[in-house]
Amino acid sequence: MYKVSLLTRDGATIAFDAEPSDTLLDAAERASIYLPSSCREGGCGACRVSRESGDVELMAYSSVALSEDERMAGDILLCRAQPRSDLALRAPFDEAAVGFAPVPKRRATLVAIEPVGSGTLRLQLQYKDDPTFGRAAQFTAGQFIELTLPDGSSKRSYSLANAPNWDGTLELFIRLQPHGAFSDYLRDRAAIGDTLLVRGPQGQFTLDEASAAPRWFVVGGTGLAPALSMLRQMGEFADPRSCRLFFGVNKVDELFALDAIDSLKAALPQLVVTLCVWKPEKEWREFTGTPVEALAQALLTAPERPDIYVCGPPALIAAAEEAGRSAGVPHDRIFSEKFTAA
Amino acid sequence: MFCYQCEQTYRSDEGAGCAGAKGMCGKDATTADLQDILLYVCEGVGQYLHRARLLGATDIEADRFILFAFFTTLTNVNFNAAKFVEMIQQASQIRDRAKALYEDAARAAGKTPETLSGPAAFAPADTMAKLLAQASEAAVRKDAAILGEDAVGARALILYGLKGVCAYAHHARVLGEERDAIYATVEHALDMLAREERDVATLLDEALALGRANFLAMEALDAANTGAFGAPTPTSVRVTPIKGKAILVSGHDLKDLHAILEATKDKGINVYTHGEMLPAHSYPKLKAYPHLAGNYGGAWQDQQKEFAEFPGPIVMTSNCLIEPQPRYRGRIFTAGPVGWAGVRHIADENFAIVAQAAQALPGFTEDAPEHTITIGFGREAVLGVADKVIDAVKSGAIRHFFLVGGCDGAAPGRNYYTDFADEAPKDTLILTLGCGKYRFNKHDFGTIGGLPRLLDMGQCNDAYSALVVATKLAEAFGVGVNELPLSLIVSWFEQKAAAVLLTLLALGVRNVRIGPTLPAFLTPALVDVLVEKFGVQPVGDAKSDIAASLARAA
Repeated sequence: MYKVSLLTRDGATIAFDAEPSDTLLDAAERASIYLPSSCREGGCGACRVSRESGDVELMAYSSVALSEDERMAGDILLCRAQPRSDLALRAPFDEAAVGFAPVPKRRATLVAIEPVGSGTLRLQLQYKDDPTFGRAAQFTAGQFIELTLPDGSSKRSYSLANAPNWDGTLELFIRLQPHGAFSDYLRDRAAIGDTLLVRGPQGQFTLDEASAAPRWFVVGGTGLAPALSMLRQMGEFADPRSCRLFFGVNKVDELFALDAIDSLKAALPQLVVTLCVWKPEKEWREFTGTPVEALAQALLTAPERPDIYVCGPPALIAAAEEAGRSAGVPHDRIFSEKFTAA
Repeated sequence: MFCYQCEQTYRSDEGAGCAGAKGMCGKDATTADLQDILLYVCEGVGQYLHRARLLGATDIEADRFILFAFFTTLTNVNFNAAKFVEMIQQASQIRDRAKALYEDAARAAGKTPETLSGPAAFAPADTMAKLLAQASEAAVRKDAAILGEDAVGARALILYGLKGVCAYAHHARVLGEERDAIYATVEHALDMLAREERDVATLLDEALALGRANFLAMEALDAANTGAFGAPTPTSVRVTPIKGKAILVSGHDLKDLHAILEATKDKGINVYTHGEMLPAHSYPKLKAYPHLAGNYGGAWQDQQKEFAEFPGPIVMTSNCLIEPQPRYRGRIFTAGPVGWAGVRHIADENFAIVAQAAQALPGFTEDAPEHTITIGFGREAVLGVADKVIDAVKSGAIRHFFLVGGCDGAAPGRNYYTDFADEAPKDTLILTLGCGKYRFNKHDFGTIGGLPRLLDMGQCNDAYSALVVATKLAEAFGVGVNELPLSLIVSWFEQKAAAVLLTLLALGVRNVRIGPTLPAFLTPALVDVLVEKFGVQPVGDAKSDIAASLARAA
């Protein structure tokens, strides 16, 4: 039995014991500590932490979830790591992201489904009343949920785009994938009134509330969802912090949620939005290029270094991290969530 | 960061004070530094307002801002760094306005306006990094080497007493009670803080002036609360939950509680008080709401466990907030001066969303066994039975009064107050107020001369009530307060308690025992002055202190 100590971003220490045959994620859960995770198969990187001291053995994992550079720097995946000594770990998330009860499983009704932009759907779900959780949609802005199809055949994780609320509403933006199990359902069979199993909220891609730095969001495609959730909450809370949004797509007709972004500008007058289209096929008055290119330009004239929140494909995240580092933004002030097509 | 304003401040052989990345209260260094800067800019506002007032010009909105700004910096009130950046900019604008007010008044009086330095001339930076670099100019111990430790300690006593005065005055103001004399004293104290005054006697005189102003503030607050909601009457309060939807309201602000009761009327939601909100049940216009269902939990320091277990929304109306834990962070709301980054704040007294949250959350699923306590012995209730009390004293049924009250905290030494109340002889009567009472208010103390032996006088905000009772009893017996068979055993934690202590001293009340430790900002020389002039003494062993109190009275 080894001692595992995990230091959270906001300075809390979480301790648990682990057997050599345990994954660290399983060992924590046996102690009723539910650490941020998603796929539990080394595929998503949601449970990545830094190793300060001690040894682990890593089972098979995807390089998308943990790059060679990250592994060399000492990072590990909690779902894939078995202890070989006492461990001191450092988490990239706050204590608030740690659950001390199992991730809730609830039922929700599909109440709206509509196309928004080319190849993207907007879904709205409504939690059913529940004796344990009531009907509230309680989560931390930026988190995701895992949906199971009505027939139980497939599960997928999606970031929530709305802010926590008391009427139980969940809003999602989903990019349709050719031959994706969930995409096929949404395209062909989904009907208003369907009941889906929701496991969540989960995830540690949330605002660092302790930081007073400006917040810049760099997102690609449906990576907009968690940023929208965080910005909507900032708007509801009348948060005075300076903030920017760099939202990028490949083509103009892939842009979506522009009305929601306009509403945000009303709630957050200090918000500066840069819409970025990589290859505009028609007249385009805003930024031409990727959101990372727009970020790099803006950093050149920024009066102070912002916290950067990035969500999108791994390549976008890597590029944003490089742009941030080049401009002197410390590594631990760049927060990211990778997503893969589903 | 350096802060030693509360009782729990970090103490070591090298000295006392929280100076790391985070204070014992959870306040981070950024927020602490921004609070120092805010108060420093407020000193600049005070420099101008004080001079303007001498010329007959006032700015009540600026005074009100100062009350609110100081209140936000009390221990366990506001931890939201972004809020302080915003307030620093506001304070700077208000200072510009105060400057113009003063200069116009001076010119109108045919005088050349002074060119002020120090906080009046301090220019807050426009970015966070530059702002934090300025924090050393505003730090509480700046210039300690020049001023000397005793002067720094006396200045801290003024600063922290001023925070308490501002908090009480703000509480009163939101219910429409204001006293211009309080504003004048606050401005004077700010001007003194802005000066490099190093004469300890002068500084202590200023502290006592604040104590007198605090008496006015407490009187205004008493008038505000009783004027709005009636005089407290003895009331039985349920302290166990009832099945159904639920809201928990903590803090001190009765007006917010009233607004919550209105927002939840006829909606099938039970409203529970927590901590210092307990006395609300004794106000006629509040207890008239049938859904003011009971009191839940204990003192503030237990909130992280109790809030996690409460199955509904929680509203923190004023101090004392501890870092909201993940299990309830999404369902806690702040109001008034309170704040925590990432927690929803209600700035407009519209609590409809809290009612909505209560209906969306599960509430209590079953009734707990009924248990009640009796509260509501404010000054009118106690003085209403003054004849009974006086007769009981004259007959010897009541040998002595102990006021065991004040703040609570997590320090182990605070068991002293439980021990003191439990050990107090059966022929003594215990008055209590503040959250310190949660250590013993569910104990059975029995009765004496037809009166409960434990009389709960209310919040720490109700210290005025205790002083009025003491004064009236002294009048009835034809003696001074110090000659009454009354001992004050005060537990302190934060800056309201510092203000109350200054009031007691200003009113000439002697031999107050305070604990569980003495304030860290008081140097040995300052403590000596308090001991010599006022008989202030630290608490010791409960049995010995009881014996000593009874011996002095005999």
